[in-house]
Amino acid sequence: MNLSNNPLLWVTFLPLAGALLVALLPDARRSWIRWTAMAAALATFAASLWLLAGFDPSSGQMQMVIQVPWLRVAGISIDFALGVDGITLLMVLLTAFLVPLAMLSAWSGVRERVKGFMILFLLLETGLIGVFLALDLVLFYIFWEFTLVPMYFLIGLWGYSRRIYAALKFFIFTMFGSLLMLLAIIFMGLQAGTFNYTDLLAQRELFAGAQLWLFFAFALAFAIKVPMFPLHTWLPDAHVEAPTAGSVILAGIMLKMGAYGFLRYNLPLFPEATLRAAPWLAGLAVVGILYGAATAFAQKDAKRLVAYSSVSHLGFVMLGIFALTQQSVAGGVLQMVNHGLSTGALFLVVGMLYERRHTRDMAAYGGIWKVVPVLGALMLAVVLSSAALPGTNGFVGEFTILLGSFGAPALGTPWFAGLATVGVILAAVYLLHLYERLFLGPLTHEENRQMPDLNLREVLILVPILVMVFWIGLYPQPFLDLINPSVETLLQSVLPAAVAMH
Amino acid sequence: MGNGDISPLTAVLPELGLLALAAIILVLDLFWDRKARANLGWVTAGGLLLVAVLSVFMAQPPETPTLIWGGMLRLDGASFVFRMIFLAGAAITALMVSENQRLSAQGEFYALMLVSTLGMSLMASAADLVMLYLAIETTSIPLYILSGFLLRDQKSVEAGLKYLLYGAMTSAVMLYGFSLLYGFTGTTQIYDIAAGFSGQNGLPAVYPAAVIGAMLLVLVGFGFKVSAAPFHFWAPDVYEGAPTAVAGFLSTASKAAGFVVLMRVLSAAFSDQALVWSGVVAALSIGSMVVGNFLALAQKNIKRLLAYSSIAQAGYMLIGVAAAGAGGESLPYTATTYYLLAYLATNLAAFGVVAAVSRLTGSEQIADYRGLNQRAPGLSLALAVAVLSLGGIPPFAGFFGKVVVFASGIQAGLTWLVIIGILNAVVGLYYYLTVLRVVYQRAEEVEGETPLAIPAAWKTAAVLSAAGIVAIGVLFLPWYNLSMQAASSLLTFR
Amino acid sequence: MPLSYYLILSAIMFLIGILGVLLRRNPLIMFMSLELMFNAANLAFVAFAAYHQALSGQLFVFFVMTVAAAEVAVGLALMVAIFRTRHTIDVDELSMLQG
Repeated sequence: MNLSNNPLLWVTFLPLAGALLVALLPDARRSWIRWTAMAAALATFAASLWLLAGFDPSSGQMQMVIQVPWLRVAGISIDFALGVDGITLLMVLLTAFLVPLAMLSAWSGVRERVKGFMILFLLLETGLIGVFLALDLVLFYIFWEFTLVPMYFLIGLWGYSRRIYAALKFFIFTMFGSLLMLLAIIFMGLQAGTFNYTDLLAQRELFAGAQLWLFFAFALAFAIKVPMFPLHTWLPDAHVEAPTAGSVILAGIMLKMGAYGFLRYNLPLFPEATLRAAPWLAGLAVVGILYGAATAFAQKDAKRLVAYSSVSHLGFVMLGIFALTQQSVAGGVLQMVNHGLSTGALFLVVGMLYERRHTRDMAAYGGIWKVVPVLGALMLAVVLSSAALPGTNGFVGEFTILLGSFGAPALGTPWFAGLATVGVILAAVYLLHLYERLFLGPLTHEENRQMPDLNLREVLILVPILVMVFWIGLYPQPFLDLINPSVETLLQSVLPAAVAMH
Repeated sequence: MGNGDISPLTAVLPELGLLALAAIILVLDLFWDRKARANLGWVTAGGLLLVAVLSVFMAQPPETPTLIWGGMLRLDGASFVFRMIFLAGAAITALMVSENQRLSAQGEFYALMLVSTLGMSLMASAADLVMLYLAIETTSIPLYILSGFLLRDQKSVEAGLKYLLYGAMTSAVMLYGFSLLYGFTGTTQIYDIAAGFSGQNGLPAVYPAAVIGAMLLVLVGFGFKVSAAPFHFWAPDVYEGAPTAVAGFLSTASKAAGFVVLMRVLSAAFSDQALVWSGVVAALSIGSMVVGNFLALAQKNIKRLLAYSSIAQAGYMLIGVAAAGAGGESLPYTATTYYLLAYLATNLAAFGVVAAVSRLTGSEQIADYRGLNQRAPGLSLALAVAVLSLGGIPPFAGFFGKVVVFASGIQAGLTWLVIIGILNAVVGLYYYLTVLRVVYQRAEEVEGETPLAIPAAWKTAAVLSAAGIVAIGVLFLPWYNLSMQAASSLLTFR
Repeated sequence: MPLSYYLILSAIMFLIGILGVLLRRNPLIMFMSLELMFNAANLAFVAFAAYHQALSGQLFVFFVMTVAAAEVAVGLALMVAIFRTRHTIDVDELSMLQG
């Protein structure tokens, strides 16, 4: 196996190489630094497309697997193991797609310590991609934790007034969950004599006795990350205080790490526990949908509103995952991508407004549609996509989830889906409310009259996202074709346990 | 590994080398003028490197552990590996001291440090209670003087006296324990004691309660050396008052020496009481983690913070020792040894940066580290790496240390202890991140201060230890194998 | 005399010593108490050596005496250094350090 030809390695370590390169540049050369970082991010995106080209969508198995022995503890090998399936691939594409755009959004906003910012951003990208690709549980954990450090600094150093409190809360919350997961990982490794994901999957009977506890330990780490109600309290703080680019990555990708973790680890490794926990977690997901929506509606701060909308939207993803039908899980995966695009875009737009007026209070705006028509039009498209209007990506995702979970045997009752449907309506209410408060009505603040419209750079950030929004909205088939075989393989390893239980 | 038989004299070549080096330093100190004496730190570090080379090429331990010098010393993997740890710690400390005008121009400082290192090296290989006691005192007495070395600094002298009083008291308690062990078994040979308890050498068998009593007395002395709660009271005061480099040396090399003795004596002499000492050590571990982490939260002085952190870190390492008693095989001691290696690099880096900053800015308050990033980016990065490693964040050495220690606990069935450790690690993160946050506070909040000029020796020390943190973590295997060599030799009796 | 007499005396000396170290605040008295503890151990060593008819215990005592002397020498030196500037050696008044 020739490793240098494997796109997995390139896509994982190109950002790291970029970070090292940036570190060598002199501090004062800000534009060199920016362009080098951007080149690294774009190269990573190109590598991810290469990955897509080499991927066989008809198979749901892990592909292009790399496995190199790395460490040995107590006679158990810890491998450097990477692999990709349809679900992973979409997450990697999303990451590689959003990072350059987020970087572009910080082009003029981040003026001081550009070098540190770009280095941390690229390190973060390596960590994120590693989390999705890792096939060894210890390696996964290492990448998982590794993402915390750059994000801590991004929030703590470039954030707004309460950034330090927010960064600490973010770090401590996530660390608490993940350390219990580490305990579970070590326990499983010692029981089964391997940390390799595929091998563990084959021998899951060995730790089946403790699977409720193990499920709980993993679920806690992932639920904090998603975040699921009632573990979401770090999220609004982190989002509000993070710089725009940080928010985009946090909402767009880091939250997906939690949902991805549930899919990749909880479901196949602990099938019986999954089936037992499914109604409870789905219930929490529905509570999250409604609670997030209601709280979002009550916000005065535009960024906080978007943050709570994430809680609500991720509730749909979790509902889809724990309904455990082919359709609902596929919808959940698609919705992960959708949320990354739509909410990422929402944070970008709110960030652009902030750059103009230096406030996130919705009352400071109002009626600015006439002043900034381009921004208004693009924001309308973003808002409608987030509100799941037919023809946009959100509709496809949420509709598939709801359809899949109505008759889900794992949940046993259509009430979950029924209540979640209310969430769709609420989403439309609070998002249109947001748009109305910002853009419609009379122009109440004279100072807003001078607000400049979007410049070319800002349009360039939003347009690619909107293209994806409508592509998925109007012709989602290519995406579903990527997702379906992998979801099928995944569920095949969960559902026999279901049969055994009933 | 190594050659089959090794002559007793070759076996102690590294120790003789240390002694010779100390003598050379004292002679140079006499003949060199003040300016030349500033280079004594480099001479010491170079000499230590030479001793390390000597140790690797001449004094490799034989395949099977061997007793030499009438059973006084034991040549095995543990004595070899831990000697390397002490040499590395001493070399980095020497570099850290070398530009410090108050310490570096005095040859005695290096000579005392070398004698103490010699004592540690003997502690790691002692196989007889007489040798062990002498080695511990050879280590400690120079350290008392080093802590109080700054005679004009009241805090330093007080630290020296406090350290001495606590140290002498715990060593007296330990000595009383030794006398009981001797009385029960009629031997001072550590590897014969276990047989003596059960009456295999003609003496009557001893009451289990009496054995446990003697063991607890001995544990007091060892607990003091590793600064485990409740024998930790000296640590914050001594670390704060002592010269920073000495505090770094105390918290790494001296602690490692305590651990190797603890592991050796518990496993060899008290093998029949394994479950009892496992429980006692687990209690010490919990106490250290809780006391260390929670008291560290309130600290304003960086050296006191690091002192409490070092108590907490001893707690994590003790998980490995407790696991060894609870039935883990070689994994627990391997884990503790690996953790010590990781901790050596990590804490030396941390104390190195603190020493440099306090010499340059004159402050040890955490608040005065604000904006350090702008004034000394290299030192800040080294401190960040060290602090993240202490907090157990991958890919640094501290993370792998925690993983193996926790794994050993789980393997031995001490999952509850590991869970307590994990909860403590979260608390620990809080204050480690606080330090980090202060160091990287934003530009406009710091008044225009000038960049700090950092001498070459300090740079070397910081770079070496920071590189060590990354290398021990990412290139895990060689270090792990080294630790395993030490661990398995500790578990081979005869 | 039976072994137990020596051991009981040694235990009493040890207890007096440790109480002295823990309760008294004058370093000089603390050092004297420390000496008591060391000598309690010495007495036990000698008694056991006689009981076992073995020399190693007696040998140990010589080393202990030497080490104790060295320890006290260092301690006195540090005390002198403190006394020179502070004119007191009461441990409670050594409050430069917060502990």
